[in-house]
Amino acid sequence: MVILGTKSDAPQTRGPVDSRGYRIFRVVNTIVLIGVVIVTLFPFLNIVARSLSDEAYIIAGKVSLVPRGFDLTAYKLVMSDAMFWTNYRNTVVYTVVATLISIVLTTCYAYVLSKPQLRGRGLLVGVALFTMFFSGGLIPNYVLVTSLGMKNTIWAVVIPNAISVFNLLVMKAFFESLPTELEEAAAVDGLNTYGILLRIVLPLSKAIIATMVLFYAVSFWNSWFSAFLYFDRQDLLPVTVYLRNLIAGATSAESAAADADKVQAAATFQAVTIVLTTLPILAVYPFVQRYFVRGVMLGAVKG
Amino acid sequence: MIFKPWRRVATATAGLLALTLIAACSEDPGESTDLSENKVGAMATYGVGDQFKATEALSFSTLYNNHTFYPLKQDWLFWSELTKRTNVTIEPVAVPLSDYEQKRSLLIGAGDAPLIIPKTYHPQENAFVSSGAILPVSDYIDLMPNFKDKIAKWNLKPEIDNLRQSDGKFYLLPGMHEKPTQDYTVLMRMDILQELNLAVPKTWDDLYTVLKAMKAKYPNVYPYSDLFSKPNPTGALLNILGSAHGTQAGWDYQHATWDPAAKKFTYTGASEQYRQMVTYLHKLVAEGLLDPESFTQTDDQARQKLANGKSFVVTGNAQTLVNNHRPDLAKTLPNAKMAKIPLPIGPAGEINPFPRLENGIMISTKARESKNFVAMMQFIDWLWYSDAGMEFARWGVEGVTFTKDASGKRSVTPEVDVLGLNPKAPKHLQKDFGFYNGVFAYGGTPDLVRGFFSPEELEFQKVMDARQPRVVAPPAPLTDEEREQVSLWETPLKDYVTQNTLKFALGQRPLSEWDAYVAELKAKNSEQYIDLVNKAYERFQKSNG
Repeated sequence: MVILGTKSDAPQTRGPVDSRGYRIFRVVNTIVLIGVVIVTLFPFLNIVARSLSDEAYIIAGKVSLVPRGFDLTAYKLVMSDAMFWTNYRNTVVYTVVATLISIVLTTCYAYVLSKPQLRGRGLLVGVALFTMFFSGGLIPNYVLVTSLGMKNTIWAVVIPNAISVFNLLVMKAFFESLPTELEEAAAVDGLNTYGILLRIVLPLSKAIIATMVLFYAVSFWNSWFSAFLYFDRQDLLPVTVYLRNLIAGATSAESAAADADKVQAAATFQAVTIVLTTLPILAVYPFVQRYFVRGVMLGAVKG
Repeated sequence: MIFKPWRRVATATAGLLALTLIAACSEDPGESTDLSENKVGAMATYGVGDQFKATEALSFSTLYNNHTFYPLKQDWLFWSELTKRTNVTIEPVAVPLSDYEQKRSLLIGAGDAPLIIPKTYHPQENAFVSSGAILPVSDYIDLMPNFKDKIAKWNLKPEIDNLRQSDGKFYLLPGMHEKPTQDYTVLMRMDILQELNLAVPKTWDDLYTVLKAMKAKYPNVYPYSDLFSKPNPTGALLNILGSAHGTQAGWDYQHATWDPAAKKFTYTGASEQYRQMVTYLHKLVAEGLLDPESFTQTDDQARQKLANGKSFVVTGNAQTLVNNHRPDLAKTLPNAKMAKIPLPIGPAGEINPFPRLENGIMISTKARESKNFVAMMQFIDWLWYSDAGMEFARWGVEGVTFTKDASGKRSVTPEVDVLGLNPKAPKHLQKDFGFYNGVFAYGGTPDLVRGFFSPEELEFQKVMDARQPRVVAPPAPLTDEEREQVSLWETPLKDYVTQNTLKFALGQRPLSEWDAYVAELKAKNSEQYIDLVNKAYERFQKSNG
């Protein structure tokens, strides 16, 4: 596997030995990037440490990177809440289904838009762009989804946001950059439009598809708002809403003032839920990333 | 190339919008007082003390604020027992508490709201009045004998009048308390007080002396480091300090304060009382008694300071004391003794500032067309306002979740825990039975409201009960246009008052500039604001006597 920024990747015009400037650049680069890694990693490791710590140490502000008073009861408690797992399963199902739908729709739309000979292409792009700048607003959207009978079904969260215009435009640009000669050759060999898309274009587009899967999956995994809008039953909600509610229940000082029966959720409890919710999507990252890097190189060679 | 189709889409959208608007406006809400079509399932005679039971099985949709601590369960005894007693089933529309208000606005706006909409804090209902989506409940209180009875018995008329809109009607059925139950006060390390040989402070001036003595003994400590810097800085402290000075500040900030002597409203942030309050606050900060970080730090930071002996005094209530500070201190400073002190008294005298109304219920206008409307109002009256209903919602079922001794004093059964009263009990009154639920249990008599209080807390309430309730301002409801105008002024005014309260307190702006500050408020329309409110007050007096 090729890693960017290593010696093998250095421009060959500088000769076999790296120039002094380039060496300095690499050292500075490494230091800066390590700094960035620390800054990004610290909050996460802190949350992990908190989730494994005794609450007394958290309140006393003594937990930073290493767990103090190692304690797993919070994990046991969260994991024993059936609603947490129901919501968790929902998140997985919604993310998978929504990503699938989004990828299929976005790919088809983008591929069509990338063909200059398409009549009415301007209008199709315009329709998509219009939604990027103007939206119907909350209540009309709600009325629409409700009257389509999608309320309290999975479709309410996977259909309305299926195409992200930004992703669509990125993908369109990618398809436009593919050499038309390839498709012409395939057509000469007897492939129809669908054949060209499925056998020629898509295999060449793994990089962009992997990127889109990543974009879509992360945004669906993290999204909570449409689920909150369209679901009236707690067993349909994704885990993000569960988490949000848990944290709100613990931190809303103003409502605590009005609500005497409010009981604070433990600090550890919050950390545990955050860890359990973010872990799977973090685990997906490296795998997709690998695809992404390899795909980019592939495209570079082809160009 | 892109622009042309855009224009077409835009025209189409505009056309559609216009159509929807016309359709929406052409509906005319009929105002009929004839209820003969709406009596299905209702009791023919229903009065104070009667058990409501629908003559046929009914169900009513209800917006449900789903609490993190006791998430909704279908098998709660509350649901089954409620249906057994009243023949009514509640269909909850569960909304996570984190975003309850947003979903409520959405559902009402979309015309999809459940019939019963609880957990609405006055004046939140104002936003929905002009749309006609919620019912002017004051037209129908004859259907609610217990509600009327409680208003009369507990002298709540001034409080209820305060809910009225410019049409003279009110749109919210509030939770009602016989007596105010003030919860927020100053929490203090009693062991430090003993160590310094000082008495528990009675007034804010006493408190100043105590803090001064603490500072003298522990010069490196800010004795008072406060929580609740959100949504506005030291909201809770300003709230209690403001009421002690006869004004309204912090969480409770209202632009207009009623001046009973002059019989008119004055602008709160520019009043003499407000100035006195700010002066006091400034004194505390300037002498190092109140931690300047109180205005910015997170609640956790303040908790940590207290837990580690870096502060001794904090604003709070029974919950924050028992659930947070005591367990924190038990782990870090086992000898510390933290307790509530009776709310310190200020220039406003011995008052109990807590309002006697709390959040309440709105009814969807579409309920009025239902053939079960009368039954629904009777049901609401029973569950939320009858003695039996209030006891049921809070304590549950006698013999199962609670018992009564000969004197009528209730206590939870040994198998049931609530608020840590029976920590080893296998079941929880809220989590496993669904009682004492914020959606259904509001207000009531002191023996109900304070049923779960510890002896220590009851002692605190006894002191507070001896004080006078705060004078309730007369109604001064604005019309829709006025409200729109006022809402343009409110945010800049409030921000400015909050900012300057902070600056004066922290000494960033000298108090000698107070007059300049008042002039700046005037430039931000504080006088027009008050004129409008006073005009509304006179108008309401004229038309409603």
